Amino acid sequence: MQKILTTKDVIALAQLAHIKLSPSQIVQYQKELSEILKYMELLNDVDTRELLPTSQVTGLENVVREDEVQEQLVTPSQLLDGVPRSRDGFIQVKRML
Amino acid sequence: MNEVNLEEYKIKGYYPTIGIECHVQLKSKTKLFSSVSNDAIGAKPNTLISHICFGLPGALPVLNKEVVRLSSIAAFALGTKPQKFSKFDRKHYFYPDLPKGYQITQLDQPIILGGRVTVSLEDGTTQTINITRAHIEEDAGKSTHPSGADYSLVDLNRAGTPLLEIVSEPEIHSAKQAKAYAKELWLIMKYAGVSDVNLFHGNMRFDVNVSVSKDPKKLGTRSETKNLNSFKSVERAVDYEIKRQIDLLEKGKNIAQETRGWIDDKQKTVGQRSKEDANDYRYFPDPDIPPVTISDQYINDIKRNMPILLGKWRDKLQKQGLNYLQIEALLESNIEFNANFLSLIADSSKEVAEVYTNWILNIEIPLRHKQIESKEPLEITASTRKAIFAGIHELIQQGQLSSNNARLMIIFLLKSSKIPDDFKELAQKLGYIQMSDIGELESLVDQIIKKNPTAVEEVRSGEKKVIGFLVGQVMKESKGQANPAVVKTIITRKIETHES
Repeated sequence: MQKILTTKDVIALAQLAHIKLSPSQIVQYQKELSEILKYMELLNDVDTRELLPTSQVTGLENVVREDEVQEQLVTPSQLLDGVPRSRDGFIQVKRML
Repeated sequence: MNEVNLEEYKIKGYYPTIGIECHVQLKSKTKLFSSVSNDAIGAKPNTLISHICFGLPGALPVLNKEVVRLSSIAAFALGTKPQKFSKFDRKHYFYPDLPKGYQITQLDQPIILGGRVTVSLEDGTTQTINITRAHIEEDAGKSTHPSGADYSLVDLNRAGTPLLEIVSEPEIHSAKQAKAYAKELWLIMKYAGVSDVNLFHGNMRFDVNVSVSKDPKKLGTRSETKNLNSFKSVERAVDYEIKRQIDLLEKGKNIAQETRGWIDDKQKTVGQRSKEDANDYRYFPDPDIPPVTISDQYINDIKRNMPILLGKWRDKLQKQGLNYLQIEALLESNIEFNANFLSLIADSSKEVAEVYTNWILNIEIPLRHKQIESKEPLEITASTRKAIFAGIHELIQQGQLSSNNARLMIIFLLKSSKIPDDFKELAQKLGYIQMSDIGELESLVDQIIKKNPTAVEEVRSGEKKVIGFLVGQVMKESKGQANPAVVKTIITRKIETHES
């Protein structure tokens, strides 16, 4: 089957998703992702000439709230309890810089 | 639009082109999508957070109505009007200060399209910079990197704060213009009342896109220097980038398209990350936030209730005969109190406007800064200031107060923030009333003339300037309470008629 994605594409995607892939996984995902994309080409058969671009399907608009501080479902300390590591009220993460 | 002569900006054969993105923090009470307080200044880390700021599964963000209103006001302030239809999109990237893994922003249908900012430079020329667009988006959290530690710390108080990102066309051609644009935008937002515009607290942050090219019709590869938080750093970063890029090209090297950071201590930019490999943000419409539509009536209501904008204030102050430096100093002075004194000046007669401008610029503003430093900030209302200024001005008109004593009395009254029942009585009590009583002054003048025979001789031989010295001596003797104009008349008469 024709491969839509190159191995370079797969490596770039893995980088964006912050996951490490072994060489064999790159080949594996190149094949699997290409198959998915190929399947999605079915959509190209749909005639969309008469349709407007659509970004939402619910038909809702202007779902807004007043600018007022409200009591929250979860308290800040409960939220902080849920993070893997915290320190002095901060969330502790792997060194960024 | 005004014609720009690019030749004026050419440096070593290169044409610099600059575009600026500015993030303005909107002054809503709560965050963009969560009913949590937006006032993170001085708050303990991670105390202004909710399940929405944390991006917990199942959390449903709901748009803050006030942000749409503030953005609509900003649209008029930028010389355009808000879009009747706008929508929100997700921009994906991984970073610890963005728990959801995406930022909610507006990609292709933002709340503001178009607009313009006209900047005036010190040399008196003006230039109009067009605005491409401005969109609403949420801020990320704040991370700190304790030195020596193998970890970073994240505070999500700021995550979800509403920002309006204003994007200019690449129509800026020098570091000076870039600075002028940043400052003008700051003033525009300040008078539109949509932001606290506190640069120290990062209420406005600038990203500058700089490129240079030998061909005026083609743009070179650009670098983006992010998160500048002062006008000076905007100017210096642009200046630095122009020079750095020209140097590289002159050495036959290429410019990398990258994001750079400004290191203020070293006054230079450094590469942070390459732009190409992170450029796939996989935008798509945010299904959680339905689009925003606003009616003609909504737009008209906003327009009808607009505050007095920057341009209008400039016109009003110009009509009062104030000069460029006076007007800009008044407009730039601190936000909490300025609108109050601007109307006082604008609504006075021309002559009074000039006097009040001097009092505000040379007495009140320095006093305010001093009081803030000593943690006793002035608390003065517009009406109290108006009454104090009017009372003092009347005493001066009556010849009762010297200008120096007027200054001392203004400081006294501004500090006490009280309107005296009787200005003259208070001035007398404080010992500020001028001596205009001729009899009293005459004897004072006699003393001084006796003490300074040489000076008197000089005046008689035609050195008229020496009269000023004698007036000064009388003023000193009276501890500043004599009326200098009256003293001068008496001295002149006495010397010429040999009275003493």
